[in-house]
Amino acid sequence: MIDAVAMTNERNQLFRDLFSGKTPKRVPVSNPATQDFAIQYAGLDLAECQWDLTKLEPVYDKFCQDFFTDTYPGGSIRIPSHYQLLGSTPIVMSSSGFMQHPEVVGLLAEEYDEFIASPYDCIVEKVLPRLFTELNGAPGKVAMSLAKAMRAQSDDLAYLGTIRAKMNAKYGYAGMVGALTEAPFDFMADFLRSFKGISGDVRRYPDKVAAACDAVLPLLVKKGTLPNPSMLGYTFIPLHMAPYLRDKDFATLYWPTFKKLVETMAGMGQNVQLFVEQDWMRYLDYLYELPENTIMRFEYGDAKLVKEKLGKKHIISGFYPITLLQTGTKQQCIDKAKELMDILAPGGKYWFQADKSVINFEAKGPVAENMSAVLEYVHENGTY
Amino acid sequence: MDSKYYLTWEEYLAEHPELEDKPTQAIAPKIQKYEDAMFVFIMDLLL
Amino acid sequence: MIDLKVLTQAVGDLDEKTILSMINDFVATNPSGEDAQKVVLACQQGMAIVGELFETNEYYVGDLIFAGELLSKTIDLLKPVLSGVASQKIGSIVIGTVQGDLHDIGKNIFGSMAEAAGFDVYDLGIDVSPSAFVEKVKEVKPQIIGMSGVLTLAIDSMKNTVKALNEAGLRDSVKIIIGGNPVNEDACKQIGADDFTTNAAEGLKTCQGWVK
Repeated sequence: MIDAVAMTNERNQLFRDLFSGKTPKRVPVSNPATQDFAIQYAGLDLAECQWDLTKLEPVYDKFCQDFFTDTYPGGSIRIPSHYQLLGSTPIVMSSSGFMQHPEVVGLLAEEYDEFIASPYDCIVEKVLPRLFTELNGAPGKVAMSLAKAMRAQSDDLAYLGTIRAKMNAKYGYAGMVGALTEAPFDFMADFLRSFKGISGDVRRYPDKVAAACDAVLPLLVKKGTLPNPSMLGYTFIPLHMAPYLRDKDFATLYWPTFKKLVETMAGMGQNVQLFVEQDWMRYLDYLYELPENTIMRFEYGDAKLVKEKLGKKHIISGFYPITLLQTGTKQQCIDKAKELMDILAPGGKYWFQADKSVINFEAKGPVAENMSAVLEYVHENGTY
Repeated sequence: MDSKYYLTWEEYLAEHPELEDKPTQAIAPKIQKYEDAMFVFIMDLLL
Repeated sequence: MIDLKVLTQAVGDLDEKTILSMINDFVATNPSGEDAQKVVLACQQGMAIVGELFETNEYYVGDLIFAGELLSKTIDLLKPVLSGVASQKIGSIVIGTVQGDLHDIGKNIFGSMAEAAGFDVYDLGIDVSPSAFVEKVKEVKPQIIGMSGVLTLAIDSMKNTVKALNEAGLRDSVKIIIGGNPVNEDACKQIGADDFTTNAAEGLKTCQGWVK
C-alpha cells in the first residue's frame, strides 16, 4: 500500500522547488494524455461519458493506475452540458465526440469602439448573444438558460472535483490549483474577431486592435488570478497567434499587453505556465524578458537553443513529440525522452511534459504502451 | 472594471443602502462570491 | 488603362486601399472581358509575390489569410466584367477537414490560395465523412483531393478516407495531399497519400506541379 499523503507532500515539494527555481529531487512528470484519451482507453463511449460523469470514476482510476504522473491527469476539460444549454456555436461536440472550437466571429469590426469603451458590457450585450443562441432572445429565456447552464457547469465541476480528490488521495498527486487566462491579443482573436478577422484588423486598424488589447487586459488579469496567490499552482496561458504574425505586428500588437499580463501575475506572487504553441523560435529574446521562473511549455522548436537562451532564467517544458508515440518503437520513444532530459534537465528548471495533449486512443495502436514506458523512464531516470 | 454587469461590494452597497445596518461582514463575501462566479463563468465561455 | 505592374505590386504589398481603388476605377471604365482577364492575371502574379515573401519569412500565416480575403474581394468586383469570358482553370481540387475534426483555418487558407491560382475548388467544409469525399469525387472528378486536420485523430480519418476511395475504385484517378498540424512523412505513408504539407503555399506548389 502506498502512502499517498507522503507522496503528495513529496510531489508538492518537487513543484515548490521547481517553481522557485531550485533543483528538485527529480524531474517532475506530467502525463500528456487527457480525459478524452482516458475514456477511450477504458473502452467507453466518449460522448456518453462526457454527459454522464458518473461513468468517469473508474475511467480515471484505470488511467491513474496505468500511467505514471506527478500531477492529476485531468487537464483542462470542456464539459458539454452547459455549452449545449447555451446553444454554443464556438465550442461544439464533433461527430467523434471531441469538444472543438470552430472559427466564429463574436465581435464585428464596427464594434471595436464599443468594446474598447467597456469590454465586459460589450461581451455581455453583443458577443454572448451572437455566439450562444440561447442567450439571444427574450430576457426571460436568456435568464433561464443562463441559470440552467451555470448550475449544470457548477454541478459538473463539483463532480469532477470529487473524482480528482479521490484520485489525489489514492495516488498521492501534487495538489495544484490552476487558473486559465489568455494573452489579450489571443483573446481578441479566438472567440471575438476570429483568425481571419484579426488578420485583416492588424492591417486595417492596428490602433483599434492595440486599444482593445489594452482595454481587455484587466479582465484577463482578473480571470487568471488564483483564489489565493500563495497556493501551489499556476496561471495557465495558452499562446496562439504570435507565430502567425509579422515581427512588427507581434512587437506592437501582441507583446506589450501579454508581457504586462505575465508581469502582473508574477507581481502577485503567482506562477505562470505558458503553453508556447507552434513555432516561437524567432521570439526567444522576447520570452527571455518575462519574469524569472516563468514556466514555458514548448510545442515546437530547438530544445538545445531554448535551454541555452532561456534555461537559466525560466522553467522549460514540452518538446516531447507525441506523434512519436504513434509511429515509433518503444525504444525510440524512450531514447527521445532521454535525449530531451539530457538537454533540458541539467541545472534543474525542467518539467517533463509533451508537446501536445494525447486525446485519441486506438486499441490496436502502440500509443498507450509507448506512453507508459516513457513516463516510467522519466520517473526512474530523472533523479538529480 | 467599469461595467454595469460587474459590481464591487462597495458599488453594490451604494445601490442597496438598505443593507447598511445589516451584518455586512457576512453579506459582502457572499454577494462578491457570486459576482465573481458569474464573471469567471462568462469569461470561460470565451476561452 | 490600369497599370498592371502597379496592381501586381499592390497585391504583393497587401495594400488594400490601392488595390480596391484601382479595381473599382477599372470596372467603371466598362472594360472588355479580355482586359479583365489580364487584371486577374496581374493579381495572381501579386499573389505569387505574397507566396515568395511568405517563404522568406517576411509574411506569416496571418498575411496569407488577409491576402486570400483581398483576392476574393477583388474577384467579386471583377465578376460582372469577367462574365462571358471562359475562365482558364488549371485544374480542380476537392478539399475538406476530415471526419471528427472541426478545424478549418488551414484548409481555408489553402482553398483561397488555390482558387487565386486558378483552381476550381470544391470545399466540403468540416467534419467530412469518407463517403462525402467519395461522392464529391464521383460528381466533379477532380485531379486532386486535399484533406486537412489539426487533431491527431485526423490521421485515422484520413486513412479511412483513402480506404473508401480505394474501395470505390477512385484512388488512382486522383492525387491526394494532406495538410495540417499532425501530418508528416510517416503519417503520409501510413495514410497512403501522395504528399503532405504543413504550409499552404508549399502545398499549392505541389498541386500546381501535379496539373502541369
